[in-house]
Amino acid sequence: MMWRNVWAVWRREYIQRVHSKWFAVATVGGPFIMALLIVVTVFLTDRSEDSRTTIAVVDETNVLSEPVARALEQAGWVVRTEVWEEGAPEALMAEIETRALGGFLVLDGMTLSTGEARLYSVTGESPLRLLTIRSAISEAALEYHLGRSDADAAALLQGGTLSVDVIDESSTYENGTEFWIAYGGAFLLYMVILIYASAVMRATLDEKASRVVELILSSMEPWHLMLGKILGVWAVSMTQILVWICSVTLLVAAGIPLSLSGRYGLPELENLSEVLPGPGLWALFVGFFVLGYLMYSGLYAALGAMCSTDQEAQQAQLPMIMLLLVPILMVVPVIQGPTTAASTGLSLFPLFSPILMWARVATGVVPVWQVGLSFILMVLSVFGIAWLAGRIYKAGILMTGKRPTLPELWRWLREA
Amino acid sequence: MSENGFALSLNGVTKRFANQVAVSNFDLAVPRGVTCGLLGLNGSGKTTIMRMVMGILHPDEGSVSVFGADAVETQRARIGYLPEERGVYRKMKCLDFILFLSEIRGMQKADGRRSALEWLERLELTDWADKKLEDLSRGMQQKIQLISAVIHKPELLILDEPFSGLDPMNQDTLEEIVLDLQRNGATVVFSTHLMDQAERLCERVCLISNSRKVLEGDLRELKAAETKGLVAIDFEGSDEWLRGADIVGTKESNGTTEVLLADGADHRELLKRGLQSGANIFRFELIEPRLHDIFVRHVGSGMVEDLAVSESGVSATI
Repeated sequence: MMWRNVWAVWRREYIQRVHSKWFAVATVGGPFIMALLIVVTVFLTDRSEDSRTTIAVVDETNVLSEPVARALEQAGWVVRTEVWEEGAPEALMAEIETRALGGFLVLDGMTLSTGEARLYSVTGESPLRLLTIRSAISEAALEYHLGRSDADAAALLQGGTLSVDVIDESSTYENGTEFWIAYGGAFLLYMVILIYASAVMRATLDEKASRVVELILSSMEPWHLMLGKILGVWAVSMTQILVWICSVTLLVAAGIPLSLSGRYGLPELENLSEVLPGPGLWALFVGFFVLGYLMYSGLYAALGAMCSTDQEAQQAQLPMIMLLLVPILMVVPVIQGPTTAASTGLSLFPLFSPILMWARVATGVVPVWQVGLSFILMVLSVFGIAWLAGRIYKAGILMTGKRPTLPELWRWLREA
Repeated sequence: MSENGFALSLNGVTKRFANQVAVSNFDLAVPRGVTCGLLGLNGSGKTTIMRMVMGILHPDEGSVSVFGADAVETQRARIGYLPEERGVYRKMKCLDFILFLSEIRGMQKADGRRSALEWLERLELTDWADKKLEDLSRGMQQKIQLISAVIHKPELLILDEPFSGLDPMNQDTLEEIVLDLQRNGATVVFSTHLMDQAERLCERVCLISNSRKVLEGDLRELKAAETKGLVAIDFEGSDEWLRGADIVGTKESNGTTEVLLADGADHRELLKRGLQSGANIFRFELIEPRLHDIFVRHVGSGMVEDLAVSESGVSATI
């Protein structure tokens, strides 16, 4: 009987929402806006990189610079080949400071054997440009090595590594892509959790205000209604997020290379997937969203049950938004120092975990046990909050008039 | 499950909110197939009682049982409920809304749909089945709410102030529905402060005042017992003798004065006083009191003004 009721509420909530105009607009419009953002960003960086970049190639090996320079020129850079000598890097560095040079690439013995090279650059290069440089280097190295025995072919075929020293002071993080995945993901999590959790509050408030709630409660326990509602909105959110993820993946996987293929000689487009978050990271993202949503939607449902009017709810909502805002404010410091004690502690606090632990995970330096622990803590919190919210919901849902004070709220918790 | 003869029984039920007693030591037993009216002023505790019957609220003391089962929740599919404060999901289509409610009331999908379409046709709403509820007039929304209360053919119908807010057409519709269900053996419990409706529909009544039961019983028996309380008098002369502590109220219409005596007052004393005052009395007749009179007599004249105001259309100047 219980699950029948929960299922009925769940289905009603889902169908009603999916049929609404808002859903159609957000589901289709979301990826469209994202696509627009991505295309505009790519287009702009493309243009700006095109217009300025003169790159110097410093070659210690004397064999790599020529093929590398050729490849880079093909890809749109203006290339200057420098011979390795003592003090060359310092001179180039000075040139970079006067912006006469966009950056320089140092190729040495390591480059020849493993594909490792070093790029000094005014600003972080876009992932696509880095990929182009990497391909150029590893191809040149491979070409040279054909037939030689001391080459680490595996490392070369993997594409080598390219460590980037960004000289611009304002950006101290090591890898642009990871930062943006951590930061963008954290912000996205903040938004979707807030949007959907507060949708639960509005739905609760609406049922209360329209007086339909007593009709429903005469057939089921309040917490069945609450659970059905939370799950219904959750299903809507998952539908929407999956549509978004799929369309973004499609866009990035198909759209960007397509839009760039005419401009760059990108020999290894399949490498593009390396700069995008992998399935594991996506799964974690969804995991953080689900648990974050379940915690916050419970709190928001209780909030909706406590209030009688929109204005009241707006005010009461503030502390809840704070709970989500604090981790958002902490995101940048946490990404920059993902392993400090403060970052670790804050990211383990369950209500902050969806945003802060995500940010740490995306930087790729968090021990697995910490991620596991945060998930365990979040699951426990979901149950704790469900217990708490269920009681407030039950006491509040039929109340009208003034919002309860804290002592009253305490009494509800004890008596429910 | 042992089902006794009562559709509903409450034993010593008390419910408090914060520091306020909403229902105090309340007993009620409604036999199956009987229609019972809970009569009381606003705030007397009727809604709280009905919510406890539905298991929406739980009594602090005492017990509620429906069809002999103490766990009211297990019996919900057999109860139809129309709360006083009722609403709809405005964005839902009529038929979907009724189907949703039929589902949570325990009906199978196909049965629910068949029944819903029948009711929509009966109440002339078939053309509106696929319209959103927000597009319906208030009167039509009320009909939808009525349907949702009875769609699962409940054996016990709990109606909280069912007539309040209904337009006259829908009041008639509701009365028809209730009478129909009665004929089919359903038990009906409804609360109201409209005495004439209660008088038409109820076999039993229960008077509630200040969260306590004042009087309960078979309406005809109650009336018979109260017969000595209402006197119709035709007379000429001064009406000084119609003022006294033993009189709760007087009402004059078409030359006849109706005098409502206080509980326990003796009509012979009144007649004696009239004759002594020298009034010329043509008629002095004990008449059957209306439910209204019984209510006023027991709940007290202090409340009467409230009642007169809430009872629009009935010129109760008592």
